[in-house]
Amino acid sequence: MKNRTKLIRAVPMLLAGLALLLVVACGNVGGTDSSGSGGGGGPTITVGSKNFTEQYILGNMYVQALAANGFNAVAKLDLGSEQIADKALQNGQIDLYPEYTGTALVAIVPYKGNPADLNSPQATYEAARKGYAERSPADTMLKPAPFNNTYGIFVRKSVAEKNGLTNMEELAQDSKNLTFISYSEFQNRSDGYPNVQKNYPAFDFEEIKIVNELGLRYSGLESGEGDVGVGFTTDGQLTSDQLVVMKDPKSIWPFYYPAPVVRSDVLKKYPKIEKVLNEVSASLDVETMRELNGQVDLDQEDPEDVAKQHLQEAGIIE
Amino acid sequence: MLFRILEVYARPDFPEKLWQHVLLSLAALLVAIAIALPVAILIRNTRLGAAIAINIGNVGRAVPSLAILALALPLLGIGFASALVALTALAIPPILINASTGLREVNRDVIDAARGMGLSGGQILSRIQLPIAAPVIFAGIRTSAVQTVASATLATFIGGGGLGDLIVEGYSRRGPEILLAGAIAVAILAIITEVGFGALERAFTPKGLKIAQKRGK
Repeated sequence: MKNRTKLIRAVPMLLAGLALLLVVACGNVGGTDSSGSGGGGGPTITVGSKNFTEQYILGNMYVQALAANGFNAVAKLDLGSEQIADKALQNGQIDLYPEYTGTALVAIVPYKGNPADLNSPQATYEAARKGYAERSPADTMLKPAPFNNTYGIFVRKSVAEKNGLTNMEELAQDSKNLTFISYSEFQNRSDGYPNVQKNYPAFDFEEIKIVNELGLRYSGLESGEGDVGVGFTTDGQLTSDQLVVMKDPKSIWPFYYPAPVVRSDVLKKYPKIEKVLNEVSASLDVETMRELNGQVDLDQEDPEDVAKQHLQEAGIIE
Repeated sequence: MLFRILEVYARPDFPEKLWQHVLLSLAALLVAIAIALPVAILIRNTRLGAAIAINIGNVGRAVPSLAILALALPLLGIGFASALVALTALAIPPILINASTGLREVNRDVIDAARGMGLSGGQILSRIQLPIAAPVIFAGIRTSAVQTVASATLATFIGGGGLGDLIVEGYSRRGPEILLAGAIAVAILAIITEVGFGALERAFTPKGLKIAQKRGK
């Protein structure tokens, strides 16, 4: 009798211990490497990133490239929004992170005027770079990678071919027979659908379905529950040949080219950072980025591995 | 902040989302009642049936709502229909469990007495079992209703509309007033549902039972 009581008493303890173990184990499982070291000796550089796939990939690329070039690169990815990442940069908690030229003008550096009015990626970059340089502490926005990650309106291939749709104006004309699968944020932010309607007033969809889940929006399109969708031009799902991105002749959105933003004092101390990261940026283009994003989002691969593979193929690391 | 929240309620798309949410919840609840109640009645006299019903009910309660929503997708695609099917599936367990238990818990002596008086099975059901079980059944419906109103928030992920759209929008656009407007609206709806069905529960409790409850039997 007495022994059974002891045994029974031990059970809750065992269960509590197991629960604790589970919590700890779960805490360490995650899709992203939120903190880790790239290795290498040398001066410590902390690399940050925002909290979506492309950012994780770029962040990991910066870490690995720097580590291969004599730096002790530390990753502090998954910081959150651009506000959080920027704060970390200015506080010195990180030394650099990837930011988009358009985003810098829209949300970070003071910029008078509408960033969408800048009519070239170069002009957008110059304005962002200037804005960053004039801050205190100053930052340097390095040369961007040569691709634009902006909103993209895309159409199912069969619909696009049947109606001869190649750009937004043509799509607008045919929109009253088409169904648009969108999401709440895009429909309600001023640079989202309202911006589209303002510039292409012919838009008048037969139906707009609001589905607040990116994967479901894309699968809804592929299954024919909608004809038109919206996403980002580097979404991995756009590697599908079933979707055609509409050209935007009026260029209604700012250019969002990704570039490393480094604290100027750090860059001055270690000017080699610029050369290393320029090499990374130059190795990318929109098709490659879509491909890499797709490997993470669709093939469930780890951003760290995807970054490594790309850098190896580009000859930037061994 | 309060003013900004009120501004969200003044948006032209708000009434539509509110209506979608109410419609979805109400429809799911009614269909769930229409399914769960007859099943509970059918199996009221078999011990095995009751055990199965209770177990299905308990499993159903444990399954995460989002999982069921995802399961409905391949069948009905994105939109209202999928959301309705999923919410109905989620609304059934509390009603089934309560109705089944409530009917079976009716005092055997009372049923024996009724049989002795010559009442048929159907009459026993309608005049004895259902009225006595009514408070428990309504408690189950009330629980299910409140749970459904809250779960309908998830319809936003599969294109079912509703107040969840506002919550997700507020979160994505980092507009806390939009998020709060949606969340508060759901909370108020849930409270109204709770209070409303509570009143219904009292209305449907037979007078005799009310007296017995008061006497503390």
